[in-house]
Parts: sequence; structure tokens; C-alpha cells
Amino acid sequence: MNRLSIGGYAALFGLAFFLPATAYAQQEVKQDSVGPVGTANVTPVTQAMLNAADKSATNFLLTNGNYAQTRFHLAKQINQKNVKNLHVAWIYQTDVKESLETSPIVVDGVMFVTTSYSHVYALDAKTGRELWHYNHKMGPITTYCCGPNNRGVQVLNDMVYLATLDAKLIALSAKTGDVVWKTDIADPEMGYSETMAPTVVKDKVLIGTNGGEYGIRGFVRAYDAKTGKQVWSFNTIPDSTVGVWATKDATGRDMHRDIAAEKDALAKNGDPFAKLGGGVWQNPAVDLASNRIYFVVGNPSPDLDGSTRPGDNLYTDSLVALDLDTGKYVCHFQYIAHDVWDLDAVSPPVLVDVKDKSGKTVPGVLHAGKTGHIYVHDRKDCSLIRFSEAMVPQENMWVLPTKDGARMLPGANGGVEWSPIATDPSQSLAYAINLHQPMTYRVESSPYPNGKLWLGGAFTAIPSEKQSGNITAVNYDTGKIKWQVKTPEPMIGGILATAGGLVFTGEGNGKFAAYNSADGKELWSFRAGAGVNAPPSSYMVGGKQYIVVGAGGNTQVNFKRGNNIIAFTLD
Amino acid sequence: MAMKLCSVILLGLALGAGARPAVADSIAEKVEVCAGCHGADGKPVDKTIPVIWGQLTGYIYIQLRDFKRGDRKSEIMQPIASGFERDDMLAVAEYFSQKKWPDLGQPRAPKDVSKKATDAEHSVGCTGCHLEQFQGTSTTPRLAGQSREYLAKTMADLRTRARGNNPGMSDLMIATPENDLTALAEFLAGL
Repeated sequence: MNRLSIGGYAALFGLAFFLPATAYAQQEVKQDSVGPVGTANVTPVTQAMLNAADKSATNFLLTNGNYAQTRFHLAKQINQKNVKNLHVAWIYQTDVKESLETSPIVVDGVMFVTTSYSHVYALDAKTGRELWHYNHKMGPITTYCCGPNNRGVQVLNDMVYLATLDAKLIALSAKTGDVVWKTDIADPEMGYSETMAPTVVKDKVLIGTNGGEYGIRGFVRAYDAKTGKQVWSFNTIPDSTVGVWATKDATGRDMHRDIAAEKDALAKNGDPFAKLGGGVWQNPAVDLASNRIYFVVGNPSPDLDGSTRPGDNLYTDSLVALDLDTGKYVCHFQYIAHDVWDLDAVSPPVLVDVKDKSGKTVPGVLHAGKTGHIYVHDRKDCSLIRFSEAMVPQENMWVLPTKDGARMLPGANGGVEWSPIATDPSQSLAYAINLHQPMTYRVESSPYPNGKLWLGGAFTAIPSEKQSGNITAVNYDTGKIKWQVKTPEPMIGGILATAGGLVFTGEGNGKFAAYNSADGKELWSFRAGAGVNAPPSSYMVGGKQYIVVGAGGNTQVNFKRGNNIIAFTLD
Repeated sequence: MAMKLCSVILLGLALGAGARPAVADSIAEKVEVCAGCHGADGKPVDKTIPVIWGQLTGYIYIQLRDFKRGDRKSEIMQPIASGFERDDMLAVAEYFSQKKWPDLGQPRAPKDVSKKATDAEHSVGCTGCHLEQFQGTSTTPRLAGQSREYLAKTMADLRTRARGNNPGMSDLMIATPENDLTALAEFLAGL
């Protein structure tokens, strides 16, 4: 026993002496409900709980709320009438002051959050008290762009699953944070890294990879949740990437491809599949009914120079569906073939019922593009039903990048970046946050640099042009914009909708606000002091609803850094 | 002149080091040669030579690897790095990363220079990799407080691809107006 603990006990005994017996007993009960420091008494998360995550008003079990990734939470204690009374319940300060992109996961009063550099914390969701902290010992080599981010964990049974910046997949004990198993996913020296939260389903841990700026060959893999052994692996870049020589994008606009030159390059150099990029760094949606997963594949490598990669560059910039059990290909839809603007597909897909072209309700898939459109697909075959009105200004599309720089809108971050959208199926609305960053696109040609940054040029913000952002609600059955709120800075992070008729989202300037989900009217706001660039979660504990969000800024858009996890509640 | 002298010392040391079996070399022996140019106190003997004390492990390792492969050209560094295996490189990198970053006494850039530099930075997005305070991370180097002359030379060399081991950085430097590079070097050196 050290001096501190003697002092601690003395203080506790002293307090207990003056407290009424009942208050002391309540304090004890509260402390024990989620465990002493170093231990989290976590309810084992069953597959049945995960399957029904969309029906829980208590927990927030997956990165985007549920397997369909609707980011619609059923709790409605906080609603349009009382949200004005929302206030801070607690603030937890992590050890890492760097970009926060975590989606807090909540399991019966225990919260799991992550920070940059792959730290994990278990917290008491009612008080913010730390229960344990996993401080990942990072390997000496990590290779990634856009920040040392981590977007969260998932829990299955009594294990917490984490993917790390040095490309490892790790299972932690949910109770203690101790490592149960660890698997190498890929070689970080070759440009592979992990920032996404794994998706765990049916004893499989699903994970993709970053690396589209480093000439990787992308994949989505399933690992055995109990052992960490690989079950299947799907190359997001197939052996033949040529495709159909598409000349138009998903919206019918000409992409100005020089097909003849590409065919010459193909004949001369062969298929470019080996270093074509195609990262997947956002969660797949899981369709439990059809036993399929749906995810989007990122940009080809190098980003802006298409001369070394003839063909459509399948399956980059695409929605892809696989069989969950086998990892076999089911269908895909490519938004932009042979992308030379890095306007790829990043924001995680969402499964909702949608109206098809004839007005019939069918199972659908939504994806919010960097182009600024929300794309609506038929889940059966990935085909496109419609695309929404543009949520951001589009100009000069698709001008080809030049040596001196060609101006085009949107800028290379979007539209919608990785930020997950939210939906409210009762209103057929999808809520997206957008960036407006006028940029010039430049092309340069250089050979594959062995796992180094391989951009094939640069996209640069135009200093004289004002940047901004917006929050946009789109009716996915019509493609029309229902409402839009302009924001002074580009938006990146994520958004949440609740059954209380609200959407919550944050801005780089530290503002975190609630809006009426039907008309976009601002109903409440809070200043966090650092960029709120993470997706919010909602949960209930002790009969009270909480909204929680990370305020740690953002590396990619360079918003002010912080290290706070902030939970809000009503009195 | 300093550079030339440094080259002579180093070539001699490198040859000597190469004659001994690598396994017998302790880290102290391996890094002995480095002080000739990078400074016995972490302050380089010539302003166009980088600070490596306190630099990041991943970055130093990648540079040693690239010198050995010939991806980064240097008549001085190539013979030294070619005697190293991967574990040696990681050990040397780790050794220097643990040293305290030296204060080169470079002044803060004046406001107008800082403004010009940060405008250029915002356009190309340096902090996306080098992070908010330009401290770097893993394989992306720390730039804050690096020698101004080395920074200026490196950016210029990346721009012409004379430094050829990071084409992505070359693309970004080519996209940055040439007259902003001086301001960037002064700004970063003064952090």
C-alpha cells in the first residue's frame, strides 16, 4: 500500500463519516455498476443484440448505429421541445490531443472511445469515469495520409475489436482492455494502415485498409472473431481492372477520357492491378436478410495521374456487394471510372427501403459522394435508381488535371468526405454534411515509389476563394433537397438523427448543434473549444438519454485540435 | 568547405566501419560516424545538413533504407547506409530519435513571412501529414526547428526531383509557388 492509497482511503472514510448512510450506499452501488478503475463490467454483446441494434433506444452498438448504418437512434427523451435545455453531463479528456474521429460505442452503461494513434478507452457512460485505457505500442513504421486517426471499435461477446495505424487487428478483453489476440493485416512499410472501426458479425471481423495514396492493392477481409485467423479476403482490385471503358460518370457527364491512349498504354504495360490502390476505410453495411455486405472502394493510385493506369480501374470509386460467408463478389456500381480527381467513394453506405423508378418500395442502398450527390441504389443488383440534386456547387466537371492546374468544383475532399450520413426513414430523408473547397487539380507523372506517397500531382485550395460547408437533408425517394443549412467552414465528421425529431452535428470551429430534422431549424448549440469533427452517438443510462461526441479537431482540414469526449443530457 | 571536410572524414570512417563484422558493432560504434556531419551535440556542422537528433524513428529508418537502395542519392550517406541491415537501420533510427532535438537558435519568422508561409501551407495542406505543430509522425519528418538552409535546399531539390525518394512530396512542392518556399523555410525553421 503506498502513501497515495492510504491518503485516498483516509479521505473516503472521512467523507463517509459525514455522508448520510443512504447516500454512501448509493455511491457504492453506482461505483460497482460498471466496475472499479481497471475493470469494466460489460454486458456480453450477443449477435442477437447486434442484429437488433436498430431497435435499441438504450445502446449504440455499431459505428453507424446498426448494421444498416442508418445513424438513426430511437431514443426520444431529448426532443425538439426540450433540446434547448441540453447541457454538459461530463467531459472526459483523453491523453491524445490530435484529430478525433471516434464514434462512441455504448453497451449498457459502458462506453468505448478511441483516439488518434489507436488508443482505446472504456468509460462509465453515466459519469465519464475512466475504467481502462489501452495504449497501443505503435510499430516504428506507419504510413498514412490525413492524420493518425481512429474511428472506433466494435464489441462482440466479451471482446473489443480494434484496427491500428500500424495495420494490426487486435481483440481486447472488454472487461480489462488486455490483448486477447493480435493479427498482422498488412505491411505498413508498403503504405497499408488502419483507421476504420472493424465491423463484427457472425463471428467474423470485417476490415478493409487505407493506402490509396500509396499504391497498395486494396482488400476487404474477414477474420475469425475468436482466433484472429483470416477467413476470407476479397481484392477490391480484381486481376482484370479494365471494365467497360465508360466515358460518362454515374450522372451521365462526360469524363473526357482518351480511350485510344489508354488502350495503347494497356497494350504496352498490361493491367495496372498490382498497385492500383482501392482502399476501403469505412465500415461496410450488413444486410442480414440477404447475408451480404455493401461497402465503397476508394480512389485509384496515383490519385491524379491516369497515364499509368489505363482502363476503368475496377473497383475503385465503386459500391461493391459481397456474400458475407464467403467474401465472393455479388455486384458493383462504379461512380467514376478512371478517376483523376480523387473524387472517390468514401462515406459509408446505408441500407434503407427506397422507392424505385416506378414508385415501388424496394430494399435500397444510399451512398453520399464526394461529388456532392447522394446516390440511391437497388440492393438487389447495385444498380443506380437515382442521384440527388447536387448539395454543393459543381463547376467545370470533368475538366482534366493539367500541369499548371485546372479549377474544378467540388474540391478533392468533396462534397461528402468520409463523414457518415444519417437517415430518418419516417421522413425518407438522408442528412449529409458537405465541404465546399474550390481547388485546382494538377497532374505530374512519376513511377511507383515503393510504398511512398504517390499522388500523381496535387490538388490545392485556391487561396483567394472562400471555403464553406453545409448540412443538407435530401429526400432519397425523390432526390430533391428538403433543406440546407450553410456553415461558415467546410464540414467533416458525421451526423446523427434521433427519434426526437433532431439531427446533431459539429463544425470545425467548435460549434456542436441540434437541428429540427424536418426543416433544419437550429434549436440548440454548444461551443466545444476545439473542432467537433466526429460522428455523435446517442444512448440511455439510468433512465436518461445522452448525446456524446468527440471534440478533437481534424488533421485533414486542419481544424483546432483538442482531446475531449463530451456527453450532454437534460436535467 | 565544411561539407568537403565532412565528406573526407565520413568516407574514411565508413570504410573503416565496413571492414568490421556488422554484428560486432554496438550502436555507439555504428553512430560514431554520424557525429562528423550531424554534430556531436546534435547541431549539424553545416547548415545544409539536417538535424537528426530527435527526428522520428520511422523517418530516419526510411531515409537510411532509401540511401542503401539508391532511391535517395548521396555520395556520403549511400556508402554508410549500404553497410546496414534493416535491424541496424531501425536501431540507429531509434537511437537518434531518443536524443533531444537541438535548439539551432533560429529566430521566429516575422508576421508577414509567417502569413505568406501559412497561406502556402493551407493551400497544399502540409499539416495533413506533418501535423498541426509540424512535429511529424513516424515516417513523416519533424519540420519544426529544422535548419532553414536544409529545409530550403530540400524543398528546392524535391521541386526539381533532384531528391527523388518522395515523388508525392515533389508533386506538392511543384504545386507550391516557388517564391513561397523561402517563407516556408524561414517559418518552419523558427518554430
